[in-house]
Amino acid sequence: MAAVTQDTAVSTGRITRTFIYLVLVLFALFYLLPLYVMGVNSLKPLNEITGGNMMALPSQWTLEPWRSAWSTAQIGVEPTGLKPYFLNSILMVVPAVAISTIIGALNGYVLTKWRFRGDTWVFGLMLFSCFIPFQIVLIPMAVVLGKLGLAGTVPGLILVHVVYGIGFTTLYFRNYYASFPTELVRAAMIDGAGFFRIFWRILLPVSGPIAVVSVIWQFTNIWNDFLFGVSFGGTSQPMTVALNNLVQSSTGVKEYNVHFAGAILAALPTLLVYIVAGRYFVRGLMAGSVKG
Amino acid sequence: MGFLDIRNVTKSYGPVQVLHRIDIAVEEGEFLVLVGPSGCGKSTLLNMIAGLEAITDGEIAIKGRVVNGVHPSKRNIAMVFQSYALYPNMTVGQNMTFGLEMHGVPKPERDRALADVAKLLQIETLLDRKPGQLSGGQRQRVAMGRALVRNPDVFLFDEPLSNLDAKLRVDMRTEIKKLHQKLKTTIVYVTHDQIEALTLSTRIAVMNKGHVQQLGTPKEIYDTPANLFVATFMGSPAMNIVPATVVMENGHPHAALTDADGGVHRLRFSQANLAAWEGKPILLGIRPEAITDPEGADRKSGNIQPFSNRVTVTEPAGSDTFVTMTLSGKDVIARMRADANVTPGQSFDFAINMEKAVAFDPATEARIPA
Amino acid sequence: MATEADFRTRLQDWLPKLVLAPSFAVTLLFVYGFILFTIVLSFTGSKMLPKFTWVGFENYEKLFALPAWNTAIVNIAIFATLYIVICTVIGLMLAIFLDQKIRGEGMLRPIYLYPMALSFIVTGTAWKWFLDPGIGLERIMHQWGWESFSFTWIKDGEMALYTIVIAAVWQTSGFVMAMFLAGLRGIDNETLKAAQIDGASNWQLYRRIVIPLLRPAFLSAFVILSHLAIKSYDLVIALTGGGPGRATEMPATFMYSYTFTRNQMGIGASSAVIMLMTIAAIMVPYLYAELKEKK
Ligand SMILES: Nc1ncnc2c1ncn2[C@@H]1O[C@H](COP(=O)(O)OP(=O)(O)OP(=O)(O)O)[C@@H](O)[C@H]1O
Ligand SMILES: [Mg+2]
Repeated sequence: MAAVTQDTAVSTGRITRTFIYLVLVLFALFYLLPLYVMGVNSLKPLNEITGGNMMALPSQWTLEPWRSAWSTAQIGVEPTGLKPYFLNSILMVVPAVAISTIIGALNGYVLTKWRFRGDTWVFGLMLFSCFIPFQIVLIPMAVVLGKLGLAGTVPGLILVHVVYGIGFTTLYFRNYYASFPTELVRAAMIDGAGFFRIFWRILLPVSGPIAVVSVIWQFTNIWNDFLFGVSFGGTSQPMTVALNNLVQSSTGVKEYNVHFAGAILAALPTLLVYIVAGRYFVRGLMAGSVKG
Repeated sequence: MGFLDIRNVTKSYGPVQVLHRIDIAVEEGEFLVLVGPSGCGKSTLLNMIAGLEAITDGEIAIKGRVVNGVHPSKRNIAMVFQSYALYPNMTVGQNMTFGLEMHGVPKPERDRALADVAKLLQIETLLDRKPGQLSGGQRQRVAMGRALVRNPDVFLFDEPLSNLDAKLRVDMRTEIKKLHQKLKTTIVYVTHDQIEALTLSTRIAVMNKGHVQQLGTPKEIYDTPANLFVATFMGSPAMNIVPATVVMENGHPHAALTDADGGVHRLRFSQANLAAWEGKPILLGIRPEAITDPEGADRKSGNIQPFSNRVTVTEPAGSDTFVTMTLSGKDVIARMRADANVTPGQSFDFAINMEKAVAFDPATEARIPA
Repeated sequence: MATEADFRTRLQDWLPKLVLAPSFAVTLLFVYGFILFTIVLSFTGSKMLPKFTWVGFENYEKLFALPAWNTAIVNIAIFATLYIVICTVIGLMLAIFLDQKIRGEGMLRPIYLYPMALSFIVTGTAWKWFLDPGIGLERIMHQWGWESFSFTWIKDGEMALYTIVIAAVWQTSGFVMAMFLAGLRGIDNETLKAAQIDGASNWQLYRRIVIPLLRPAFLSAFVILSHLAIKSYDLVIALTGGGPGRATEMPATFMYSYTFTRNQMGIGASSAVIMLMTIAAIMVPYLYAELKEKK
């Protein structure tokens, strides 16, 4: 998104422009509204929500909901707060992102620079796997994870996310390497570099931008995943599942302020990534429409 | 047996055969140019010599060693690519010595080789830059330097000048020629630019649709093209090809042509064996520079014949003026001196150097040999 | 004579395939093998655990006789249609507006897009309480003095589905905007200038030239949105939990509850197969065309 600065040749009148600005600002408010609601209400005592107005700023500012969401709130049956689940998510996301990105890079390299008969089919099959409804693999995956003794563990979740992530990472690197001149690979072959050396010395040093895209995409997807977490999380549930448990719990008073604080906690890592590297995030989303 | 032998080499992609039994022996120190239109298989042949493409059938040998199936890096060849293929993440120096590094050459030796080549190509000041910071011509030099550093048996060039602008291309052409004369290396050079082919080579292989049409010195190719394809592909403007009939006059074969106004011209051939074609149609091939104004005719030729014809178009091109006329229903281009006084629509006296004329068999399109 | 490839060359020929092989094997097993497994299960009488007693099409017959499944299908049809249409309209509109040399574009774009970075669970939580009549929008309006304002969709079996549409549109319409904006910026300016010289008004310019040129963006948006719609599970769970009652049941929630909480694995599997077939009907032609083109 960053590189697009070309403007259209269309010119518009004053009234139209005012209308356009109005619409654009209204939509900006619409998109910001939930963030505002979550932010403001996570900093109020509960009675200001139940007895006051959600849109109002806190009259008594407090960090107590955040503290509670992080370390004492009732998640399921244990009053542990979201902290252990946050750690689960981290432990799951970091290796899963790293592994799937590395594998994707190697796959993309093979599929563009070492083409063989039927490679498009191999890629097509891998690509389609990105778009299946994961419901179709839930049952056998549960069986296999059980057999492997990985059910309900962080390594089990890592496995699942790697398996269903390599389609996308392969897509990214393949599209990226496709525009990398094959002549360079040939020159390196003549120079005497082998398969891995060419990858390591010639391609990897210029793969920075796409690696960022891949990492961000995988990070966002895996962090935000709920279905696999709730199906295979067992005792190692990730943050999203814990947040849902917190919000949906039917016992006791609904602590809306704690829920909002928890939601922001769950959103924080991906929001941070978005703020720091937004344009790469967008590029990743766009590549999801297959075209590189 | 040559230094580089290409013996009956074919190449197929699945059912499509893109090269048909190519047979070329290159001597040591030779500058062989492969020339032909786009898609004729030049790069494919070059890549097979390099080992970048598998050989479907036949053999390639370098210095007597058959290299089919030998890894590119073990053939002791170097290649300069059209896009230069410089590693964008390495400096010029690293680019040039990467091959030596891969072959385990120790650093001091690498540095010495680098310094020598950099001096030769006058790129000493560029060694610490990245390829992105170089101009097209500089990149071209670095790409050649990378090949030179390896001191290979054979240099392979795939259209190395086609990404340069016209002026730079001419300069680099001269430079490559000088380099070859100085280093006496064996070079196989691909281009689709026939001028490059004629100026650089010691021998040319003209290719079309996967076949070698003719293999010979630039002079052979230019003066005695093996067939219509070679005749029209090499040379600019292209050789004029005019349908004619062979008639006998005073015991000599002549070409009978009609002009636009119905006038018939009979031009005596120098090639006596065309008498055998009496009464039959042929295709007469004559290069533009062999049709001139009478004052500009080649004095050394023993067979200059005058004829006059109506001029349709004149194109002054600085040093020469190109003049178009009609003969036997075809446009024919003649090359006049710049100051020749020619007016479109009017008749003009031309001189044609029939010593340079060639005749083709219309059925096979092959040249009728003398 | 060494006409056989030397060892290094042969190794180099095999290495790429060796490197790709694990991924391919994993894909074959974990994707296509599993799909096959689920398809097989859908023809068995599995309840709590997989069991291989063949029952033919019984599960499919039962499935389509179930009111819950039929609700799910109607819901997904309504949801997907509204979601795709509204996202496309909003996305296109915002993209065209943003493309008018807008001051502050750099600030607006990230605001439109950030929801895409959030988990559906977070989105669901935010909207669940914001739309809750007890503490959210309705009450806010009452306190601001609009006493008669009523907004109880989320508690209303008839209307709850539309709250999911609202939240889903909120999350993805910005992304659709980005896709269209990229498409707009990719259109050659000279084409537009030529049309203006031909006398096209702004409206005609967009309707006759720009929007037709955005065809690829429309196609991509459609494919991505429909794929997101059919997979929608998290948002429903977080926002309505499929309720009130079963009013917002979707195929994804149906599959999960039948398989894992109601111990009707055979029926769950058959519902998953139907979902897969629906997505495949959209994705396969699209991917095929894309890969064909690339080759
Ligand atoms: N991988 C391939 N699969 C199928 N056909 C191929 C492949 N590579 C090349 N060809 C075909 O082989 C023929 C020769 O290609 P080649 O690249 O050698 O042409 P060229 O003479 O170098 O042309 P140019 O001057 O355009 O570079 C072409 O018709 C091309 O379409
Ligand atoms: Mg070529």
